Amino acid sequence: MRDLFTGNFGIDPLTGQPILSEIGFYLPNTLELVLVSFALLVIVGISLGYFAGMHFSTLGDSLVRIIYLTSWSTPMYLAAIVAILFFATYIPIFPSGGMYSLSIAPPRPMTGIFLVDSLLQLNIPAFVSGLQHLILPAAALAFVNFGLISRAVRSSILNVRWSTYVKTARAKGLSESEVRRKHILRNALIDATSLSAVMFGWLLTSTVVVEELFAWPGLGQFAFQAIYSNDYPVLIPIVVVFTIGVIVANFVADVAYSLLDPRIAMGGKSGSVT
Amino acid sequence: MAKVAQSLKFRQLILSSRLSTLGLIVVIVSVVLAIGFSIFGGRVTPYDPFALNLQQSNLPPSPAHFFGTDFQGRDIFSRVIAALPIDLGLPIAIVLLSSVLGIFLGMAAGYLGGIVDEVIMRVTDLFLAFPTIIMVLAVAATLGSGLVNAMLAFVFVWWPPYVRLVRGGVLEVAAEDFIAISKALNSSFRHIIMKGILPNIIPSVLTYATLDVGTALLEVSILGFLGVGIPPGTPELGVMVGSISYGLYTYPWQALFPAFVTMILVVGFSFLGEGAREASDVKVRPYILFRKRGLKPKTKAQGKEPTPFTHQGVINSDS
Repeated sequence: MRDLFTGNFGIDPLTGQPILSEIGFYLPNTLELVLVSFALLVIVGISLGYFAGMHFSTLGDSLVRIIYLTSWSTPMYLAAIVAILFFATYIPIFPSGGMYSLSIAPPRPMTGIFLVDSLLQLNIPAFVSGLQHLILPAAALAFVNFGLISRAVRSSILNVRWSTYVKTARAKGLSESEVRRKHILRNALIDATSLSAVMFGWLLTSTVVVEELFAWPGLGQFAFQAIYSNDYPVLIPIVVVFTIGVIVANFVADVAYSLLDPRIAMGGKSGSVT
Repeated sequence: MAKVAQSLKFRQLILSSRLSTLGLIVVIVSVVLAIGFSIFGGRVTPYDPFALNLQQSNLPPSPAHFFGTDFQGRDIFSRVIAALPIDLGLPIAIVLLSSVLGIFLGMAAGYLGGIVDEVIMRVTDLFLAFPTIIMVLAVAATLGSGLVNAMLAFVFVWWPPYVRLVRGGVLEVAAEDFIAISKALNSSFRHIIMKGILPNIIPSVLTYATLDVGTALLEVSILGFLGVGIPPGTPELGVMVGSISYGLYTYPWQALFPAFVTMILVVGFSFLGEGAREASDVKVRPYILFRKRGLKPKTKAQGKEPTPFTHQGVINSDS
């Protein structure tokens, strides 16, 4: 038990290296992928949901709804395979796998995150190559998961759009863009925030499939290899790391929720809900 | 009599939305095909889904083989039909078992309260924190290959949301007056549970479960795709996609068709689930009925005040 908290996970029986240092090598790569994909997901998800909510009951609304229903019904591997086939094989604009091309000198590991390292060392070719390799897996990951966010944003916009509170804002003489930005969108973002933290956890676990298909040297692939070779001493720490990631994401969501929505207070002082 | 009327209305409600009708059609067709295949075997498929025919391997899609053939010359269309019993049966079994477990534990937690509630909910929270796919993979790998083991691995991580759902519902229902009256009338514990609480819980569980079958289907196929738990060579959509990773560039149809079929199945269950949710939402029901009869619900200032139907049920941000 003490070993768990001190991070002493022992030695990987397959490679003979300390498991902690192996996780330390793979984790930044996964974080890079997940963070970029998360940014994509949040931006696309919120803007589509906002668009659908503001154009309720129009053709655009139906289109967005069809898009997000398809999004969350798509198997992860289908999105990845379609991405590889179309954008790496038929129209070869992106590389189909790996994290950077082998002809490029990788930056020295500083933070461990490839893009950050190459930027810090002003290694522009490595940065560009890293970005090129990142786009497809990140987009595939984001596409499969953005649906729920769009749906939540759309629903909360519909809930707030015709409320008396927004009418009051208009009656006060606020400009339309101000009403939309400060009153409608801000309210809609409350739900999206809590949901996006949950999505972060999902993204983290979806990496098992994506990293396998895109040959991305991350924790997901590491986990998959450990499962495949029945390497339990390695698998258990990986599950622990993923679980910590999910718990942290949920915690951040709870805190963000209470910061955004003044009606929900943390602690027990003012009749709290959480 | 009253029950018949109610179920009739429910059917109408589901059929009132085009999307959920579409979902219902997809689900019914696939279930019929799955049952047909499990009874009649290879006689309902154009080719024997298990017969090897190496002379015809890797054929592209054609009128003779709608989806082409795989690397061992088996007809992919036939194999997709052969996969339906597993790809529908496994998720349905997972969801069924999880919901039974969830109803049992959730009712115990919600109705008994106290220390039982505390223990059950803390264990549930613990399980909720585990990342689903990874946990399923780990458990399935530990249990070894096999469909029953795969199902058990799923149930192991699948039940917690049901406990939460049921417990919330029980707490709501148990606070109602009719339960208090029932208690005052000295009804038996069993009577209160079976007649008072359970009927009020089932609809919400059913709605959630319909949507959940789609999610479970996705995850089952991911398990098959990664080749863990489900034995290789099984006609299962994910296994079919995963088994061709080397020939992806030359024979893409071998992966694309099973993957698209998976997507269509999941879309079917999502649409149906959304429709069921809309129909079971008390706030939305009257609006759908109005729409069905071509009437409009009373609204102030036609045009300015939006009719608040369709969105209320379709979206549910708290899930």
